[in-house]
Amino acid sequence: MEFDIVGKSTPLLDGLEKVTGRARYVTDIRMEGMLHGKILRSPHPHARIVKIDTSKAEKVSGVRGIITGFNVPQHKFGTMLQDWVILPNDKVRFVGDEVAAVAATSEAAALEALELIEVEYEVLPAVFDQEEAMSPDAPLLYEDKDDNIATTFQVERGDVDGAFAESDIIFEDDYETSQVYQAHLEPMAAVVAPADYDRLTLWLSTQVPSMSRLRYAEALGVCAEDLRIIKPHVGGGFGAKFEYKSHILAAVLARRTGLPVRMVNTRDEDFIAGNPRVPMKIRVKLGLKKDGAILAKDVRIIAGNGARTVYGPAITSTACYRIDSLYKVRNVRSVGYTVYTNMIPTSCFRGFGNAQMHFAMEQALDAICHENGLDPVEVRRINGVYPGYVSIHGWEIKSCALQECVDQAVEASGWYEKKKTLDKSGAKKRGIGMALCNHVSGNRPFYRPFDGSSALVRLTPEGKAIVFTGEADLGQGLNTAFAIIAAEAVGLPVKDVRTAAVDTDISPFGLGSFATRATTIGGRAVYEAAVNLKEQLVSHIAKVYDEKPENIKVRKGEVALEGKGETLPIFDVMQKVSFSLGGASLVGQGSYVPDTVLPDENKYGNVSPAYPFACHIAEVEVDTETGSVNIINYWAAHDVGRVLNQQALEGQVEGGVIMGAGWALMEEMIVKEGHLVNPKLHDYWLPTSMDTPIGKIHSIFLESVDPNGPFGAKGIGEPSLNPVAAAIANAIFDATGARIKKLPISPDKIVGALVNKKL
Amino acid sequence: MCTQNEIMFTAEAKESITFTLNNKEYTVPVVPGERLLDMLRNRLGLSGPKEGCGAGECGACTVIFNGINLNSCLIPAERADGAVITTIEGLSEGIEGDLDPVQQSFLDHGAVQCGYCTPGMVLSAKVFLDHNKSTPVTRPMIKEALSGNLCRCTGYQKIVDAVYACAPVKGDPEEEGEV
Ligand code: FES
Ligand code: FES
Repeated sequence: MEFDIVGKSTPLLDGLEKVTGRARYVTDIRMEGMLHGKILRSPHPHARIVKIDTSKAEKVSGVRGIITGFNVPQHKFGTMLQDWVILPNDKVRFVGDEVAAVAATSEAAALEALELIEVEYEVLPAVFDQEEAMSPDAPLLYEDKDDNIATTFQVERGDVDGAFAESDIIFEDDYETSQVYQAHLEPMAAVVAPADYDRLTLWLSTQVPSMSRLRYAEALGVCAEDLRIIKPHVGGGFGAKFEYKSHILAAVLARRTGLPVRMVNTRDEDFIAGNPRVPMKIRVKLGLKKDGAILAKDVRIIAGNGARTVYGPAITSTACYRIDSLYKVRNVRSVGYTVYTNMIPTSCFRGFGNAQMHFAMEQALDAICHENGLDPVEVRRINGVYPGYVSIHGWEIKSCALQECVDQAVEASGWYEKKKTLDKSGAKKRGIGMALCNHVSGNRPFYRPFDGSSALVRLTPEGKAIVFTGEADLGQGLNTAFAIIAAEAVGLPVKDVRTAAVDTDISPFGLGSFATRATTIGGRAVYEAAVNLKEQLVSHIAKVYDEKPENIKVRKGEVALEGKGETLPIFDVMQKVSFSLGGASLVGQGSYVPDTVLPDENKYGNVSPAYPFACHIAEVEVDTETGSVNIINYWAAHDVGRVLNQQALEGQVEGGVIMGAGWALMEEMIVKEGHLVNPKLHDYWLPTSMDTPIGKIHSIFLESVDPNGPFGAKGIGEPSLNPVAAAIANAIFDATGARIKKLPISPDKIVGALVNKKL
Repeated sequence: MCTQNEIMFTAEAKESITFTLNNKEYTVPVVPGERLLDMLRNRLGLSGPKEGCGAGECGACTVIFNGINLNSCLIPAERADGAVITTIEGLSEGIEGDLDPVQQSFLDHGAVQCGYCTPGMVLSAKVFLDHNKSTPVTRPMIKEALSGNLCRCTGYQKIVDAVYACAPVKGDPEEEGEV
């Protein structure tokens, strides 16, 4: 099939406003009478709130409203568990926990008021490590619970013990992944304004406009219809921008004061009260045949949920069993505990638990190969899934070019040659490492009622199209991908199509950008809407021009009337069609409901309509004297189903690899007794241009043409990061013999390992 | 040319200040304690300079100040007195003006994702290119020049490529990667 737009490079259609600075983000919104909201946060990791006195703060000139746990309702709500309140009146549970919020006519007045709020705390013993928090004598975060275990996920299939008994190789080891910060350049932000009909309008920097609307309605005790959510440009999300407390506080303050309220995190607040990656302690036990075929897998995970639940439990369950659709293992047992601690609540971060498990599993396989003289490429080949494979949990792999990803990455990197010849003689040693990856494109259990998406495509009287979707572009290029899909399906130039900002008063419902679902599921809905539009267009043209429908071809913005031998610009045609309809636009509507199921109580059932795969290979140079690691080359071969936008795909891979390298080598939230020591971008070691091997990240795309994705496309956002930390760790091992199993792989750990091993 | 530190710490009290912003003269009253970033955003209505950290660590608030790229979040507004300032809005005029070649190159190379770092990145790139009109430019030089501007989306590769493409004299393209 030949495409006009799909598969080419289409620069972001909303790039012009971004390069000119005209793009408006939530942080840019200013309104007449707008108040500035600020949040008083707990200085203690765990404390009883004895009393809050706001009398002095109320007298500050410019203060219009102050809320605390003593003047807001105390009903519970939440994302996965009902452990949120608007503001607490009993306890604070982490440093950064919201205690009070102020709205004032200036930021300075709001800050002054915060200083004057007097809170009397009774400090309680706290627990920070998730494993310690499981102990029976650990301080309890929630007194109405017996222990700190928020949720336990368990799954067992096949004959695990029998399979271990039959195994020639048994391997067991522990890995630990870190809590890291998404560091989206635009901090968490909301502007909330009262609107007509007693409603509120919320401009949110969010990945999940429609879902936030449902949760915030619950929190505020109103109908979803009473809330209008608008998502303008978003300055990155990476998993951080889900339901968020400060959005709710801004809404409460807007209702109390009757005025617009702006609530934007400072960078420090974003660090201490965002929702960073779920840290995990992962024990992996694998049983294999002599040739490396995996017979059995047993996993135990202890995950830190932090002080309240965002999406931790779903992330732990993902870590427990998603990887069972990467390798053909039939005997598996997993248990995952998501444990409350007096730490910042953790949540989604690109990779959603699967990235954590990749760090463990892909290193385990590498170690097994090394210890048993097996070829890591061959072992992955014989275990890797294939098209038509149904996992032990009932996950149905349709399109799959995993083997081809391995082939291409191995060939492009010169793997076998490099394995033999990379220089390990001096103090600077080179090494090469591999990691495979799988992921989903949509995750049915994420939102229990359903998965799916719907879209509208409107063709105006001038022959230009507007896509309406509830799925959220965060800067990854989703709006452009949707325009490409609609343009290709209708037959318009892509420049004549745009995707409207999400506005729940206008846009259809869209669950949002997570689980690498938006391009596949949202894009398929856009495709269906575009096809529906095209059908309407053709039938109207047939009527207006008295031409047989089969003789009407629309392509690149031109309409060929083949019976008449005439070709007309879409502008002329749509003017006529529209005038014949009283000036109407044509509106195509489409939905996509994936053929997935909510897994049953035994966790059985296909969760995603499409599964992307990848093979990453890292080549590194390790300075064994300083422990510093340089990425020399990086190959990322991805089964993307279909390339919709070459340039944007490369951008996702390059960004994901560098983010993964930051996680692997640099980034660390250093927490002492519950206090984050380094809430600054510099001290946190976010990768800069200096840390990036420019021109050395090589993207390779394979098109397995998925039957469910739009034009066959699957997602890319998370797969680009999942295997990175493991590929780098394996390369470091290859270079030096140092196996670092705890993130980050900082220079001191490498040097320490080398000293210990006398390597 | 002066350094960021000199600009931060040598302010003197005045009632109003006059400066050139994006080729136009402005005289505005001084608000004590105001940062240049806030003056540009809150009083002069610009949205190009972004606040990513307020601490001189991300470069999202970059402006060109008397010919150098500085973090406007660290500059007291009154230091703008007599200065020539360019923000991203000054690189192309309104909606009708042509893009600066650097802006166009960012677009063409896919160097823009969320766009939050973009105004600052483009301005730092612009200053770098202005200072290297006749020097052969290499990718390592570009990396260095942009090292104060953080981007979490792109992994920097396409940004560096976009800037390299604009260099009037190009150094060894092989140094850190092919064209
Ligand atoms: S906002 Fe000025 S450097 Fe980050
Ligand atoms: S494009 Fe998002 S931070 Fe650079």
